[in-house]
Amino acid sequence: MSERLSRARAVRLGWTFAAVVVLCALPFYLDAFWLRIGLFSMAAAVGAVGLGLLSGTAGQLSLGHAFFLAVGAYGYVWLAGEPGPGLPTALAAVLAVLLAGVAGGLFSPVAGRVRGVYLGVATLALVFLGHHVLLTADSVTGGFNGRSVPPLEVGGFSFSADSELSLLGVPFGAEERLWYLGLALFAITWFTARGLLRGRPGRALVALRDSETAAAVMGVDVSRYRSAAFVVSSMYAGLAGVMLALAFRRVVPDYFGLVLSVDYLAMIVIGGLGSVAGATAGAVFVTALPLLMTRYADQLPLVAAPGTTDGAVGPTEAARYLYGAAIVLILLFAPDGLHGLVRRLRARLRSRRTAPPPADAASPSQPPASAVRAKEPTP
Amino acid sequence: MTTRTTAPPALTVTDVTVRFAGLTALDAVSFTVTPGSVHALIGPNGAGKSTCFNVLSGLCRPATGTVRLGDADLTRLAPHRIAALGVARTFQNIVTTQGTVADNLLLGRHALSRSGFTASALRLPHARREQREQLARAREAAELTGLGPHFDSPVALLSYGDRKRVEFARALCLEPSVLLLDEPVAGMNAAERVRTVEVVHAVRAELGLSVVLVEHDMGLVMRLADEVTVLDFGRVIAHGTPDEVRRDPEVLRAYLGTGAEAEDAA
Repeated sequence: MSERLSRARAVRLGWTFAAVVVLCALPFYLDAFWLRIGLFSMAAAVGAVGLGLLSGTAGQLSLGHAFFLAVGAYGYVWLAGEPGPGLPTALAAVLAVLLAGVAGGLFSPVAGRVRGVYLGVATLALVFLGHHVLLTADSVTGGFNGRSVPPLEVGGFSFSADSELSLLGVPFGAEERLWYLGLALFAITWFTARGLLRGRPGRALVALRDSETAAAVMGVDVSRYRSAAFVVSSMYAGLAGVMLALAFRRVVPDYFGLVLSVDYLAMIVIGGLGSVAGATAGAVFVTALPLLMTRYADQLPLVAAPGTTDGAVGPTEAARYLYGAAIVLILLFAPDGLHGLVRRLRARLRSRRTAPPPADAASPSQPPASAVRAKEPTP
Repeated sequence: MTTRTTAPPALTVTDVTVRFAGLTALDAVSFTVTPGSVHALIGPNGAGKSTCFNVLSGLCRPATGTVRLGDADLTRLAPHRIAALGVARTFQNIVTTQGTVADNLLLGRHALSRSGFTASALRLPHARREQREQLARAREAAELTGLGPHFDSPVALLSYGDRKRVEFARALCLEPSVLLLDEPVAGMNAAERVRTVEVVHAVRAELGLSVVLVEHDMGLVMRLADEVTVLDFGRVIAHGTPDEVRRDPEVLRAYLGTGAEAEDAA
């Protein structure tokens, strides 16, 4: 059994290593368009992991994710820029994440008391409030036109195209440099979020979602954990906001509207609630789809090229229809999202591989996939 | 599971009254659970047994009266504080969380472990060590209740009896001094009932805890309980050993209804 486990671990390590190598090599082969898709996807993945923790794991519906993304993005821009304190950019980035956490903490008296759909509506108010403040507080946010984002600098190394840099004959512009920053921040998110979910806090949050009564009598401080889920989720959102600001190089209020919050909900639903890998997959899908459709609009049937007005569906609208359809299909046929779909496929493959020999003595506790499916819990 | 060296504190319920908008669910209920005993709470449907459990575990605050565990006053404490003081309970309708048996039992270890958000997120060494230790304790509880073979199975795939056992094991994981069991054998077949009775006997002998039991199976109550308190319409109508209670005319009337009235008429 232990030999089996260690082999599984070695296989997993091998896959992780391969994924890291591929991701690190990509900037040498892809042009800026693809890298930008990657940057937005990584930022969205960080934000989606945060929302997944709150809405998927802890079961608290939030429509206010865009607000916390905005706090992170604008927090960074204001703290690092002029007008503003003009702090060192790395410090400003860290403070912006903490600021988003504080914003989540300030909301926690509400989050600790209101449940379900009512919490969704309460968080909805945050988005409108935030949008209004972004439009009117000109001196901090730059009003309707927004502000340009000061490039991040860590120890004299600038994540922008200001200085010439080329590696192995490939010129390293802003996208290439930000790619590695995004990868590092995403890796941190992946590592911490999975640690949280598998540890004591994650189990308490799951218990909160499944039954607050059971959680309470098992010793979980319900209101404290409800608030903590909000704070942690807002910090991931803040980090995602900083990453988005760096990738966009300009922040504008209209981006941080209700539609963004709904996009994030779509990501975690498509990916599968309560899983880090699922949230990541959903984030990549929802982020990359409209960008790809815009790029290849002229080659797609029924989709008009951007800028034309001959009655056909524009690429962004088409992308929205597509992922609306994806949500419906997933809710109907794979309610546990892409993550659940992959897990079931893997279980089926494994049972097919081990089926020919009559019984697999090494893993008696593993129920065959067919049994898993037959007794799926009925809600 | 560590065996308790000192006797658990006594659970004392004094004059507890609970009203739900005009309905008096509990009316000046008093009883004491002797340390290390099995105390059964019986009565017809709607007598207030579950309300009484909700008061004991802090889910429901009484209008008047007190609940004390040894020197600690539990009356106004939040449920998670009562749990931390060593009062664990199961539910009449099974309330488990998603995930494996191990996940559920580790939830039971929540109050006895420390690692918070930061330590778990950064996977600090002490958090990982704690997780390993808690897992070992959870496995012990699973073995004790006969859930060992199912330790890594998802709870949703277990049979009804096994899921009831998961709740029981999860409550044991709290290392309670008082264990509240709400209909532990309801819906079980005969073999499962026997097994549950054995486990209750075993944990009481090994861990020396007090058990408060709500159960409709009178045979089981009579075999298991040291003391019985009978509730009817929120009032305590009888109290004593199983034999005393069985002969009590008030109890017969509450359960059989017309028995006493028929005698009166005759």
